[in-house]
Amino acid sequence: PIEIKFSHVVAENTPKGKMAIRFKKLIEQRLPGKVKVSVFPNAQLFNDDKVLEAIILGDVQLAAPSLSKLETYTKKFQVFDLPFLFDDMQAVERFQQSEEGQKLLTSLESKGLTGLGYLHNGMKQLSANEPLYDPADAKGKKFRVMASDVLAAQFQVVNANPVKKPFSEVFTLLQTKAIDGQENTWSNIYSKKFFEVQSHITETDHGVLDYIVVTSKEFWAGLPSDIRPVVEKSLQEAITFGNQVALQKDEQDKQAIIASKKSTVIELTSSQRQQWKQAMAPVWKEFQDEIGADLIEAAQKANQIN
Amino acid sequence: MIRHYLAIVEAAIIRLLLVGMTLLVFLEVILRFVFNTGWLWMEEVTLYLGAWFVLFGVSYGLKVGAHIGVDALVRLFPSGVRRWISVFAVLGCLFYCGVLLYGSWIYLGKLKLIGLTMEDVPLPKWQGMSILFGGFVLLALRLMSLLWMLFSRQVDGFELLDEAEESLALAQEETKSTPKESPEVRMSSDVSPIGSKL
Amino acid sequence: MTTATLFLLLLLCMLTGMPIALALGIASVSTILLFSNDSLASIALKIFESTSSHYTLLAIPFFILSSVFLSTGGVAKRLINFAVAGVGHVRGGLAMASVVACMLFAAVSGSSPATVAAIGSIVIAGMVRSGYSQSFAAGVIANAGTLGILIPPSIVMLVYAAATEVSATRMFMAGLIPGLLMGGILLVAIYLFARKRRYPSQPFPGWRILVKTGLIAAGGLFLIVLVLGVIYGGIASPTEAAAVAAIYAFLIAVIGYRDMGPLRDTPWHYQGESVVRAVCRNFWQITWAIPRSFFDREVNNVVMDAAKVSLMLLFIIANAMLFAHVLTTERIPHAIAETIVSMGLPPWAFLLVVNLLLLAAGNFMEPSAIVLIMAPILFPIATQLGIDPIHLGIIMVVNMEIGMLTPPVGLNLFVTAGITQQSIGWVIKAALPWLGLLLIFLGLVTYIPAISLFLPDLLN
Ligand code: NA
Ligand code: NA
Repeated sequence: PIEIKFSHVVAENTPKGKMAIRFKKLIEQRLPGKVKVSVFPNAQLFNDDKVLEAIILGDVQLAAPSLSKLETYTKKFQVFDLPFLFDDMQAVERFQQSEEGQKLLTSLESKGLTGLGYLHNGMKQLSANEPLYDPADAKGKKFRVMASDVLAAQFQVVNANPVKKPFSEVFTLLQTKAIDGQENTWSNIYSKKFFEVQSHITETDHGVLDYIVVTSKEFWAGLPSDIRPVVEKSLQEAITFGNQVALQKDEQDKQAIIASKKSTVIELTSSQRQQWKQAMAPVWKEFQDEIGADLIEAAQKANQIN
Repeated sequence: MIRHYLAIVEAAIIRLLLVGMTLLVFLEVILRFVFNTGWLWMEEVTLYLGAWFVLFGVSYGLKVGAHIGVDALVRLFPSGVRRWISVFAVLGCLFYCGVLLYGSWIYLGKLKLIGLTMEDVPLPKWQGMSILFGGFVLLALRLMSLLWMLFSRQVDGFELLDEAEESLALAQEETKSTPKESPEVRMSSDVSPIGSKL
Repeated sequence: MTTATLFLLLLLCMLTGMPIALALGIASVSTILLFSNDSLASIALKIFESTSSHYTLLAIPFFILSSVFLSTGGVAKRLINFAVAGVGHVRGGLAMASVVACMLFAAVSGSSPATVAAIGSIVIAGMVRSGYSQSFAAGVIANAGTLGILIPPSIVMLVYAAATEVSATRMFMAGLIPGLLMGGILLVAIYLFARKRRYPSQPFPGWRILVKTGLIAAGGLFLIVLVLGVIYGGIASPTEAAAVAAIYAFLIAVIGYRDMGPLRDTPWHYQGESVVRAVCRNFWQITWAIPRSFFDREVNNVVMDAAKVSLMLLFIIANAMLFAHVLTTERIPHAIAETIVSMGLPPWAFLLVVNLLLLAAGNFMEPSAIVLIMAPILFPIATQLGIDPIHLGIIMVVNMEIGMLTPPVGLNLFVTAGITQQSIGWVIKAALPWLGLLLIFLGLVTYIPAISLFLPDLLN
């Protein structure tokens, strides 16, 4: 049988983990004996940086790294990191399903990768060891960022200091207050235990942290024509399922964090959120040339419901 | 003569990589804590320095007998048998090197073809990772030289730490109650016999 | 078949006396070639990943660098003089003090090998000088060092918490009593052992000597304060603190005590020299000494010693990760765990089998890798059987501690071999009696859940 190794870096009980298992089940139902899916959770096979290379080499067939991992492949993916570009997850979804969003998936083909779909995690929130109400509160604070120039710039424009540190160090650095804060989705703040070591979380919804489901262009093109449509359909169904789980989990984890009383959740008034948005607006300009003005515009359009 | 200078340069590079890595992390702490700032490229450079340190240093480690192994069993055999076992062992190690050389050639070639760059350092990724290939070239060369020494009967094994000698010293130490030389002294002075020949 | 080949090859290779790292590598590579569709390029990829993306592992070279400066530069000698003055009059006192030092250090570093590297190279030398056998000293430290992952904070616990979604704080709290208990067991064992062996106890030298040796050793003692302070003061993570410790150890050995390096035999103050003159001279000499150190023979030798031990360890770890990668792609741990799960055991038998499985896995894989693979499989069964996930986590961590001391992949063994310059076989023999204690302790922790759960339940 054709073997599909699906390698991801999170636990099996997360939306991504559940999506992978759902995909495996669907394939086993629909293509018994023809395609075998093995899921490797928890970075058992490769971490997110190396998994893309492993796909290119043909040793892994499916992975779902976060969108910012693709930025070294094509700068266009930086669009998802722009602060306050999307109002909510519905806007993100609309953009991803739009023509431009779908075109992004195929923009990786020159690098040997094919994007198959977007998988949600959620909107990012800001956490810190002091309350953050307006941009001035972030001044001078050290925030952990993932590897992305856009995310670094986003903190620099509010006079905060972006710090790049591997995940293994982040918990301790936050706990000992060597780093003041970080940005993440509710579900990551919950599962990675950051809420236990951060006194305040501001509900900014300032950015999106989604995943892209990728495969190797060569592998995808090489699938027999009677099999590929079934795999694709199963994958789309699994993604839809995963996205539902993600939306529920986002809310559920937020409530769990509030209920834990280990961290105070701050809701922003609309004028406060507007202040953050304005303060971070220069980042758009800075990266406009790399990303492409038309792409940013298309993303913005997704905020309007037509 | 050239060999002598190469050895000096090799050791200096290894030290520089270790010291560089340490200084970089130290500097990062100072910048963050004292000056409330930092450079984003530091993490990536530290990690790459770490990889260069290990992969570049592995062959040197073989030369100076830094690697540890279990040689209790082979020492039970007479020298001739031992030499043959070691020959097979070295061939096995060369096979491992061969696989990694072939693998890294393809891997780095693919990275070059796709044109990936490192995250924060404006360098092609394959260049940053080239030590993967280079390190195993060095290791293969050292292994081949060890193989030659085995054939020409200069050595009969990997010449790791001499277990028998150590346990003898241990026995003496257990019977004597007087304080003996502390191991820290030995640490700086040991160069295994193989080191002087490779 | 695959499993048998993998382990048989590893055993065969190791017995030829080749470096352990290469034995692990050959077994992995051959298994991939024989049984797997994985490309050879992926092996290269995995080796580079293993050497370049584990930031926490860098604590090992940093701590080794710092400890080599301390032990070569005579700092260790001064520390030991002080320790002997302080606890030398108690039978086994120095060994006990070393265990306490390990516990203190374990409390700040999340890593066991780092604990052995940092404390071991100082105190093992000291114990030998005070009349202990080296094997006793090495065995005590290799064992006490495993507390690094049990006494919070701990990297392994964090990994467990992330894999099972239990609270990291609760996990850390649960580790405290077992950590102290294990430390206590070690202390009692040392006392009994020292009495039986009649290890020497010096007469108490008096307070004056104690204070004097303490002042002389202050430069070295400050290192412990520095590392703890840097971490708890919110300045740096344990890995970064290790780098700070290395720089400090260099400064104290080369500039402070001047037992080595460019300022050797240059005293802080010549007889009859005016204070102003001495300050100016020292200022100039120290500034100049730092660049000179890069070319100083003694300093370079020390750095090279640290480099040799570090790269040996890191290369073993890289190949051990490749080995674990093969186990994972071939789904060997999964298959074994799933078999256990399907046996439908009662809780006590389940825990027994879990322990056996983890002990076996600990022989071949790294703690974090084992936890990541096993925890998600074992966790749901444990919950079904009414076993608290926190309790299961502590059991896993204690198993991982034991795994640090068992060949072929036992990091504490390698670090101890590295710092004592002894063979692996020698270290295994030295650690063996203490391993028995750890096993008894594992039994206690497994069947008395209160040891782990008392604190977290109390505070909930
Ligand atoms: Na710890
Ligand atoms: Na082990």
